[in-house]
Amino acid sequence: MLKSFGDKQHHNKNLFPFLLIVPSLALLLAVNIFPLIYSLFLSFESWSLVKPGDRSFVGLRNYVEVLTNPAFAEALNKTLIFTAVAIISEFLIGFALAVALSHNLKGVGAIRSVILMPLVMTPVVTGLVWRFMYNPEYGMINYFLNLLGISTTHAWLGDTSTALPAVILVDVWENTPFVFLILLAGLQALPREPFEAAQIDGASRWTTLTCVTLPLLKPAILVALLIRTVDALKVFDIIYVMTMGGPAAATETLSILTYRFGFLRFDMGYTAALSYIIVLIIVLASQPFVRSFFVSET
Amino acid sequence: MKTFENVLIHGFVALLLATSIFPIAWLFMVSTKSPLEVFARPPVWIYKPILDNYYEIFVAQRFDAYILNSIVISSCSTALSVAIGSLGAYSFARFKFRGSRNIAAWILSTRMFPPIAAAVPIFILWKQVGLFDTQLGLTIVYAASNLPYVVWMMRAFLLEIPRELEEAAMVDGCTRLGALTRIVLPLARPGLTATSILCIILSWNEFLFALVLTSMSAKTASVAITGYITAYGVKWGEVGAAAIAVTIPVIIFGLLAQRHLVRGLTFGAVKG
Repeated sequence: MLKSFGDKQHHNKNLFPFLLIVPSLALLLAVNIFPLIYSLFLSFESWSLVKPGDRSFVGLRNYVEVLTNPAFAEALNKTLIFTAVAIISEFLIGFALAVALSHNLKGVGAIRSVILMPLVMTPVVTGLVWRFMYNPEYGMINYFLNLLGISTTHAWLGDTSTALPAVILVDVWENTPFVFLILLAGLQALPREPFEAAQIDGASRWTTLTCVTLPLLKPAILVALLIRTVDALKVFDIIYVMTMGGPAAATETLSILTYRFGFLRFDMGYTAALSYIIVLIIVLASQPFVRSFFVSET
Repeated sequence: MKTFENVLIHGFVALLLATSIFPIAWLFMVSTKSPLEVFARPPVWIYKPILDNYYEIFVAQRFDAYILNSIVISSCSTALSVAIGSLGAYSFARFKFRGSRNIAAWILSTRMFPPIAAAVPIFILWKQVGLFDTQLGLTIVYAASNLPYVVWMMRAFLLEIPRELEEAAMVDGCTRLGALTRIVLPLARPGLTATSILCIILSWNEFLFALVLTSMSAKTASVAITGYITAYGVKWGEVGAAAIAVTIPVIIFGLLAQRHLVRGLTFGAVKG
């Protein structure tokens, strides 16, 4: 009797923790795994919603067409430039602000409230506001430039050479607060001893910054870096609203390209293959980060 | 030298603050201006604010229907994902079973998944099962999208609660479920609040899935705004009013709950 009781306890103990995660797994199965598998099968078919009856198995042809289409390489290029420039800018400004405020804590609450705004603002709204601000005749950007003495009616979003930088600026405006918040939290959590030791050893402020602060801040930096990188690679909302990938594909990132083929051309098979390639790029690149972060935490 | 540096730092911070606030303030002004004032050059800073734009979108164009959709979808998906995710987070925080680390890592990695890649298959699937252009359809998608955040954050919050408390309760005769509700739940309330706020904001602001998975009935506010971008140009006055209507709730939410929000955003990232 005691033995069977013990068995039941043991059995329950094994099942209960697993039961707790079943709902999560079920939800993700339905919205994540299943569409992924379905997409895989789709990617091997030639199927356009424009000609729904005309549907056939074509093997890897979609993948070949995606990879040999110059638009793909262009979009990948734009996406990588966007990500790199945005991330570097956000970290430089965010870190500077975090360092500036970590010493001088008065008013941090109020400052944080204001800084939060670009972050919580609906991205579509952000895109629209900036679209008006970039307007050549009525926009505030040109107005302020004119005030500063630079006379211009430049169409920032309409010029192929300034469209991408203009869009990057909006992303930086939107997401620097996020980097700032994470780095500030990291800075505030740092122990005092290393800094006191550095001061006793007579280290200059620059040396303290590079040899003490930055290494100690590494976990926070890595987390912010990972999240921002993945989000920048996925960017869609602001570009959709500001330029829709234009002018002349100057701002056509991978997401916009996929949207164009999937929901403007309705070429389902092609888009499925394209989506898969993008997923592989992003998810595989981030897996080592996620794995190491998780391991180091526990 | 120190004072010059102080001035520089204060100037830098002030500039950043001004840049953060200007666009939204200016958007608010546009929404209360008449068409003539919107396009006036030089821009008018002092004017008589009017509510015509708001009247136009809410009364004449029933924008409130889209706001309602956003409210329903955001709150339901948040409730769903926080409930489901917290259970899972509790499991990861308290138990170490075979494969738990891998499963947890996998759940977190779905956050990296680019929405556009899931958009096409979900679009087709949802149409086939009748979930296209329904509040339920979008709710399910959002619940799944926010699940990684919930698991990440709630796991961190739950790890802070010492398991001795539950064990003490169980020694005193509580079942595990009883310990969960009587001990853990009240202590986890700040964590649940922070997580819920983040999920609501994320769902409310979401655009891509809403664009792809809705048409006329379940359209959310963020998608409805883009309807003002016509082929003839943008109706800036109305867009302004709609934009303010869409973004003010989130801003107010964010301001009221900023401490929770910041805690939630940085908690998983930084210990202490």
